[in-house]
Amino acid sequence: MPGMNTKRIIFWLGFVVVFGLIIWGLVVAMNKPPVMGLNLGAPAPVTEADHVRGSADAPVTLIEYSDFQCPACAIYYPLVERLLSESTTTVRFVYRHYPLYPQPHKNAFIASQAAEAAGLQGKFWEMYQLLFDNQKSWENLPNTESVFEGYATRIGLNTEAFKKDLASDSVKKRVQRDRDEGISLGVNSTPTFFVNGKAIVNPQSYEAFKKIIDDAARGDSN
Amino acid sequence: MKHLRKLLTTRLAAIPTSFAVGILIVAVLGFVDAAYLTIEHYKGVIPPCSVVSGCETVLTSSYSLILGMPVSLLGALYYLVIAIGIFAYMDTKKTEILKWTLFLTIFGLLMSLWFLVVQAFILKAWCIYCLGSAVTSIALFVLANIVFKKYMITETVDNTAVLQ
Repeated sequence: MPGMNTKRIIFWLGFVVVFGLIIWGLVVAMNKPPVMGLNLGAPAPVTEADHVRGSADAPVTLIEYSDFQCPACAIYYPLVERLLSESTTTVRFVYRHYPLYPQPHKNAFIASQAAEAAGLQGKFWEMYQLLFDNQKSWENLPNTESVFEGYATRIGLNTEAFKKDLASDSVKKRVQRDRDEGISLGVNSTPTFFVNGKAIVNPQSYEAFKKIIDDAARGDSN
Repeated sequence: MKHLRKLLTTRLAAIPTSFAVGILIVAVLGFVDAAYLTIEHYKGVIPPCSVVSGCETVLTSSYSLILGMPVSLLGALYYLVIAIGIFAYMDTKKTEILKWTLFLTIFGLLMSLWFLVVQAFILKAWCIYCLGSAVTSIALFVLANIVFKKYMITETVDNTAVLQ
């Protein structure tokens, strides 16, 4: 019966079309750049208390609100490192704490404290690198203190002073201050990057990131 | 084993079209969810960390890949197979096709249970899209069980089939 066959062909064509439309619709919808996250407040000016790399008169200031336990931040960490090594004269990088603590990252706050405690001995960035490099090995530990003390020893810190600072109120307050400021700006995910005071949608590749920085260095607003 | 033998000999009666469409819709929902995650994976999107979810922990964990393939792709294929099976049954009205399609839902259930265990006890983080898939695969298994209960035909002594 040819009529029967035609009906079946249409039946199955409908099936293929529906699934094709679903996939096509998803791809199209997901290709739209997300607009959210752009309407954040302007971060506080960079001060002496900030952790800064790069020259103060660099045309581009990149501020990152980040969480040492966040896998996405660990993915962006080598991108930022590469950016700093390839754009030494154009970028000044500022790291601010935004630990997503206690949920979902229970060790994020103490990790920030470890970086701050190292910072008191002038080795914030050395600890920053160790924390990101070894994120997988400490993220789920019930107690991270001994691991972080090991890192402190490895980068040549005075371990006794580090231990004391790790638990000190002033270090906790320093981390909390960054986080409070982030909250007041409307930061709700990490990493959140600000380029010359404006929040950017997280670039999905090194090249895209570099382009944003290069454009900002040339003075383009977008 | 007893169950498998029973399954091999079991025959199903035709189920109402509305019931078949219902199963199809659940499979399509599961497919959309899994396809979304698959596309996200291949686009190389780095899911940011946020206060409300632990999605990034789950999706960047080693458990999110099986033999280098994202679990979400396997999930999407699974839902696609279920949808094709149900559709083929609606096309041909062959209850053998329905039976084996519904039998497959046990694999979806087991995979989902495993990933719930991984999220709850190993990663201690939850991914809302993975939970969505758990819901659809559990729903498919439950629907399959209802079909097996309500529409199973058992042979009687005089070889006339009766609906249980």
